[in-house]
Amino acid sequence: MEDVLYSVRGLNVRYATRSGDVHAVDDVSLDIRRGEILGLVGESGCGKSTFGKAIMRMIRTPGRIDSGELWFDGADLMTYSEKQMQSVRGGAIGMVFQDPMTSLNPVQRVVEHLTETIRTHEPKVSELAAIARAEELVEKLGIRRERLDDYPHQLSGGMRQRVMISLALALRTKLVIADEPTTSLDVIVEAKFLDLLRELRDEFDLTILMITHNIGVVAEVADRVAVMYAGRMVEIGDVYGVFARPKHPYTVGLLNSVPNIDLAAHDLYKMEGTPPNLLSPPSGCPFHPRCPRVMDVCAVEIPVLQEVVPGQATACWLYDQVGVTGG
Amino acid sequence: MALQTPTSHEQEWREDLQRVGFVRKLLAGRRWYGTDWWLVAISAVMVLGFIILALFPSLFAPYSPDAQAGPRFLAPGASPDVPVLVSLASSSISGLSDLEVPAGDPRPSVGVVRGVPTAQALNDQAQALNDELSGTGMELRPRIARFDTLEETLQAVADGTVLAAVVQSTEYEQVAGDYPTVAEGESITGGVSSEGGFILGTNQIGQDVFSRLIWGTRIALLIGFSASIIALVLGVPLGLLAGFRGGKLDRILSVVMDSLYAFPGLILAISITAVLGPSVLNVIVAIAVLYIPTYYRIVRGQTLSVKEELYIEAAKSIGARSSEILRKYIYPNVIPSVAIIFSVNVADAILTGAGLSFLGLGLPPDTADWGIDLARGQGFIQTAWWLITFPGLAIMLVVLAFTMMGEGLMEIFNPKLRQQ
Repeated sequence: MEDVLYSVRGLNVRYATRSGDVHAVDDVSLDIRRGEILGLVGESGCGKSTFGKAIMRMIRTPGRIDSGELWFDGADLMTYSEKQMQSVRGGAIGMVFQDPMTSLNPVQRVVEHLTETIRTHEPKVSELAAIARAEELVEKLGIRRERLDDYPHQLSGGMRQRVMISLALALRTKLVIADEPTTSLDVIVEAKFLDLLRELRDEFDLTILMITHNIGVVAEVADRVAVMYAGRMVEIGDVYGVFARPKHPYTVGLLNSVPNIDLAAHDLYKMEGTPPNLLSPPSGCPFHPRCPRVMDVCAVEIPVLQEVVPGQATACWLYDQVGVTGG
Repeated sequence: MALQTPTSHEQEWREDLQRVGFVRKLLAGRRWYGTDWWLVAISAVMVLGFIILALFPSLFAPYSPDAQAGPRFLAPGASPDVPVLVSLASSSISGLSDLEVPAGDPRPSVGVVRGVPTAQALNDQAQALNDELSGTGMELRPRIARFDTLEETLQAVADGTVLAAVVQSTEYEQVAGDYPTVAEGESITGGVSSEGGFILGTNQIGQDVFSRLIWGTRIALLIGFSASIIALVLGVPLGLLAGFRGGKLDRILSVVMDSLYAFPGLILAISITAVLGPSVLNVIVAIAVLYIPTYYRIVRGQTLSVKEELYIEAAKSIGARSSEILRKYIYPNVIPSVAIIFSVNVADAILTGAGLSFLGLGLPPDTADWGIDLARGQGFIQTAWWLITFPGLAIMLVVLAFTMMGEGLMEIFNPKLRQQ
């Protein structure tokens, strides 16, 4: 068995709203292997960001983690107190946010962000030592140390995103959760950023969970890819395997929807229907109302995630050998 | 960062700035001094000046604010009409005391003009001085010689018929050139010199308007600053707490603050001072209570919105504690708006304080205060315009200086605002 860094088992996250609970993450189990870049893709509102926050236990009211186990490096995070979680956040697990424009404190200099992170977790480090570490870190990320004294608004988007990364890496981080880190960057900066991410993974021995709706980004950097739909994990596997032979009809549709320069405009695949309302998800497989290969069983029973080819698992009745007899 | 070349937009307003006059510059200042500093500098000098005046009024005020320093209703710049002693320039007589002689010697003769009250003044003063001299062997009992006109009186002095004369200073100055051998001495009523001395005139009880204005700065700034600081110290933490914690605490505090806020400001201040009684401290308390909700509401609202910002979540993702988030992330992002309110509030509190004392509430009636001066002077608006004009101008200038400086400074120091 591979070395698993973070193991999620049966995670359920609900948001309480006036019209009822929204089941944002529904019974998701996932292993993040040490040293890999795992891409988590899905439509907007499918619960991927919620999932990312949940594994840092950063779900705020009205949301809550209903049930599930979060095993990080052998420790059960669900049993941790809020205080212990604070030392995990930014310590062993770092997070990079979608919008670098707004994820830095506008009235704090860049260097203060870094020294604060360092000294929050290692109070014994002196201010000067923290500054030295910050300088070393940002230079590794390609930011001149003079820029540390700037305010966030004086930096470009790409630089801010690198600052965010350096914040996530300021301590001995093992896992970085990158929540749509390239969404607000242009393609050139994005490409550089992805290169940087790969280099950092090798240099710092990182594990990265890359949450994105950009299939191209995942294809570019990820080792494995997990596909989410309506709060459920529908397919997970080796990135080459999944992209070459997608098994779940949703994954097939998702990949066909990616614009391609070789494709004439009308050839672009548009998936039927709209994402389900998570207040009252469809019975059975949540994808069945939109599925081109829907069967009777799909509306009745929820398929389980199981390996269909080595290194690739999917939750779909099409590939179920046991399900027909069991259901 | 290095100097940036001005953008086209910036050049545009620089040109605008060249074209318009001072008033337009003041009016449109808000748009401009975000990247310019001179309006801030002007207002800062003004504020500093007012603060210095408030700290050391005795250095600048020529008279005590309560003392009757001169005649009543003297117009700004006018010389007071006082009885002065004139005598030959060659004699050594300059004041009444120079007319003292040993008892029994011939009494000095002093000329006065018939029908002018100088003779009465001379008699009274001489009597008073004479009483002081009793027992010293000296006496001061001038023999009064009456003349029909001022010219005759002065001629008599020039001729040596009388040793000296007592005349009204204003009348004397008109004809003084005709009698080069005659020199003006001291005023016989003492204290007040006939030379100017009242830049802004005197009020109905002879107090110097200018001195009262300067001493009034002290009370105005004391009330403005203390009330605003008390309101800030109470309002900001409450607002932060309510916005950050939310829930029941927030609801209770907000109801209390909103009900305070619902009162018309001056009415609330009037009722508080009416209950507490007249004193400077009570005025400060009343005005502070008035402004706590202002800070509370702004800070709470800002906290609520800043709380949702992504960088707060980012701060949580690096493991920051709640207290740290409040102190390092929310507080500095909220405080710029507080600072703007503070400067405007100081100005506003000065206005309210002046309003209270104008209505005769709050301050003891003998205080040197602009509001009190306004209230006292309003009855004489047709005869003595200077009584209300200068206190009114002072209030306006202070309010203008504080408002301009506060907002200008904030736009310069707050990088977020400046970038826009």
